[in-house]
Amino acid sequence: MIALRSTLAGRIFLTVASTVILLFLALPIVLIVVTSFGKDAFGAFPPDSWTLGWYKVLFADGSKWPAALSLSALIASLTTVFSLLLGITAATALVRSNLPLRSAVYGLVLAPLVIPQVVIALGLFLLFEPAAMLGSPIAIALGHTVLASPIAVMILMATLKGIDERLEDAAASMGANRLTVARRITLPLAMPGMIAAAVFSFITSFDEFFISQFLSSVDTTTLPVQVFNVLQFDVDPSVTAISAVLIAIAVLALVLVAAVRRLGGAEKQDGLLPTEPAVGLSTGSETS
Amino acid sequence: MAGSLLAPAPPAPGAATPAAGTGRLHRLRRALSERRTRFGLLNAAPVVVYLLVLFVYPIFSTLLLSLKGEEGGWTLHWYADALQGSNLEVLFTTLRISAETSLLSLVIGFLLAAAVSRLKPLWAGLVMIIVIVPHFISALVRTYGWIILLGERGVVNNALTDLKVPGAPFQMLYNEIGVVIGTTSVMLPYTVLLLYAVMRGIDRRLPAAAASMGAGRLTIFRRVYLPMVAPGLVNAGILCFILCLGYYLTPALMGGPKQTMVASLISEQVMKQNQWNGAAALGIILLLLTFGGLLLLRLIKAVSEAAKNRGIS
Amino acid sequence: MPELHLKSQPQSSPAVFPPPGSGTGKPLSVTDLRKTYGGVTAVDTVSMEIAGGEFVTFLGSSGSGKTTTLMMIAGFCEPDSGSIVVGGRDVTRLAPQKRGLGFVFQQYLLFPHMTVWENVAFPLQLRGVPKAELRRRVGETLEIAGLSAMARRRPRELSGGQQQRVALCRALVYRPPVILMDEPLGALDKKLRDQLQTEIKRIQQELGLTVIYVTHDQEEALVLSDRIAVMRDGRIDQFDTPRELFERPRTPFVADFLGAANFLPGTVQQRTPEQTLVRLDTGGLLTARPQAGAEGAKVRAAVQPGRLRLCTPGDGFCTGTVETVTYVGTLVRVTVRPAGGADTGVVRLELPAGEAPVLGEQVSLTAHPDDVSVFAVEGGG
Repeated sequence: MIALRSTLAGRIFLTVASTVILLFLALPIVLIVVTSFGKDAFGAFPPDSWTLGWYKVLFADGSKWPAALSLSALIASLTTVFSLLLGITAATALVRSNLPLRSAVYGLVLAPLVIPQVVIALGLFLLFEPAAMLGSPIAIALGHTVLASPIAVMILMATLKGIDERLEDAAASMGANRLTVARRITLPLAMPGMIAAAVFSFITSFDEFFISQFLSSVDTTTLPVQVFNVLQFDVDPSVTAISAVLIAIAVLALVLVAAVRRLGGAEKQDGLLPTEPAVGLSTGSETS
Repeated sequence: MAGSLLAPAPPAPGAATPAAGTGRLHRLRRALSERRTRFGLLNAAPVVVYLLVLFVYPIFSTLLLSLKGEEGGWTLHWYADALQGSNLEVLFTTLRISAETSLLSLVIGFLLAAAVSRLKPLWAGLVMIIVIVPHFISALVRTYGWIILLGERGVVNNALTDLKVPGAPFQMLYNEIGVVIGTTSVMLPYTVLLLYAVMRGIDRRLPAAAASMGAGRLTIFRRVYLPMVAPGLVNAGILCFILCLGYYLTPALMGGPKQTMVASLISEQVMKQNQWNGAAALGIILLLLTFGGLLLLRLIKAVSEAAKNRGIS
Repeated sequence: MPELHLKSQPQSSPAVFPPPGSGTGKPLSVTDLRKTYGGVTAVDTVSMEIAGGEFVTFLGSSGSGKTTTLMMIAGFCEPDSGSIVVGGRDVTRLAPQKRGLGFVFQQYLLFPHMTVWENVAFPLQLRGVPKAELRRRVGETLEIAGLSAMARRRPRELSGGQQQRVALCRALVYRPPVILMDEPLGALDKKLRDQLQTEIKRIQQELGLTVIYVTHDQEEALVLSDRIAVMRDGRIDQFDTPRELFERPRTPFVADFLGAANFLPGTVQQRTPEQTLVRLDTGGLLTARPQAGAEGAKVRAAVQPGRLRLCTPGDGFCTGTVETVTYVGTLVRVTVRPAGGADTGVVRLELPAGEAPVLGEQVSLTAHPDDVSVFAVEGGG
């Protein structure tokens, strides 16, 4: 490898700088997790004494968190189903067919990722308000799907591109009909991607704030809206614990995706997570 | 089975198709009748219909609402409202905070991406995990983390006080410092990913080649490395700016009254003041700013492509 | 069920497809197949009949139509006209999965999510073969290809050669009446290719398989085939046994493509039922086996380098100066520049190493009349 060797000073500078930056990214998260086990929820760091009390408070009688948690889970599940259905069909159309106006369709699918979410939320509010659907979990899930489906489409497109279409031809040459090919060849090979698409759709919905806020009613507040309200109006120590729960859910979801990818035989250089599509970036040449 | 990939590729165009152009309509009709085309249309239909109903139409009705007068008819006065007084100030605040955040994200992202692109794949993978994982954790939660960190008795101020830094503890919450720090941490994964993708694609032998010609380190950075990374920087900067424009979680929680973002104003007008028309006008302004950014991105890309082509020919 | 080691075709099979040999016709007959792409003819009236247990190769350079023909037989692309009959059943318009053929791809195309065993079992599962039977047949097939030890592995854990062997097993485990192979060794290096050629030939003979094989490698075609169809510009130039092609090429292209023949321009001087005499442009008189061509016609006489011998001066059809001598193992390649008459380029010879001439030596060349083919010169070129 011919490459310029960096100077010692340069290397030290970059190492120190990147360590500080990584701390910058990780510290707020680590802090919440650690503090949630501390006796004094806003107190010193690291805490002087430890407790599980805040987690008990979360699920105590009269707590508003369980309802918000289950509502968010319900909406996220619905979103996952909608987003997968749209994602599978759209990715198939974009990767495995001669689609007229392909780049227009692709642009439309990706557009929700760059349009300000508050504008989407406002538009959905204007759509659902006259229909008296504010506060309906279905309406919120339909809204979340607008944001989740582009990510599902991008992940599934990458997955489908990674599956050699000629494998399907090979199966046909042995006598497999189209249904058998889909069931025995395409589906198993696409499974890690489908699981990733499902997980990221779920997380997108679970963490979504703007649409939830615009479409919620008094008795339907999703978890993020509840957290926001608590942070803005009456800071309550149990919010640290619920934040830690949210962190745990996200990390578990990512671990699940990484494990499935690993078992599905992803190449090492592919990384553990389908990073770019999951973040909603198309860094490839595909950008329309 | 006409669409099979295994079928040998038809001969290169140019060798064939003497009647190009004459049968365009015929070709279109034939393409539409092809199995692969019908299959594509069938599969694209759900997502297109869905987005037309739940994405395009709502934005369109927002546009209509922003142009509708209180007693019917068309008006621009909601836009006039949005562009004067405190509303205009909010717009400028939004632009200022977005610019500050993008710049900071770009600088920090550049440093981290440059460091990661020099690492061995295993280490690079680990570092990227630290970059990616926070992205999938609710921005709300991360903002809360910053509130705890930057508070008057927070970890940062405690540390600074212990180090006897003059002036500590600092006020870092409910002002612009806090907002920019918090928003930057939310935007950072985007810039790092975009810049890392560009830097990974750079042939590291090129700076070495420049050195072999006697270029100094600064010259190499300025004349060789930076021009190669520049498209990525522009891309990441503009994208980050666009994303900031419509963002308001962190500013709302970590900022003071002087850090009100347009998105925040929209939410307030809808939720508290029932002022939908005004909110719609603000939303459309935000949308136009976004389109402006995307257009700029396109334009820069087109110009640099043209420059490149001119260089070749 | 037939044992895999039986030399004859299996007589019964639970497959939904008619087992080989059960139909009325030959395993495969192709009639007047045509295919054009946007005005360019890729395959032009190709017809052939293939007998059971025969190893047939389509040989040609890229663009000769060999792969297109194979893909039409497999069903991956549709012919414009003509018919394909497999075991007495017209399959011309059938989808590939309904043709019951076997296909071995150049890129292996093993299913990455299945083990070797599962890959080979897949086509049997499609045909509803009972479990015990399936296990036996997969086991036997893997055994034959020497893959028993790899049954539990995934394709990506195998080398290219092993992967291609699995692909072969997968295509033959269900005993299709014809197995089609599209340059299956194209992605392998030379040494592995030689080894797998031997193996494919052994398995084909052991099981009496009917194979159609596509390649651009003449040597591979000669090693493997019972008959070779030499293809050019979408047509079959000649469809014959390797020996016939080598010794009795019917076109200059075949003579050149298979044997890299020397072409010696001349004029037919005399034709008798026993022989044809050609007066070469370099002056000598060459005796060829009796062939068509009117006396006085401009012709090119073709002789393979390996069929030329040195002889005493005066006996040969040409004398000249040795220009290069190259040793290649037990052979030596020699070029001779003929003396006298028009300059028609050098003549190439392959001689046993012991008979090597020295550089600059004056030599005389001769060939057996049976080894000389005569082709009319078209259009006076």
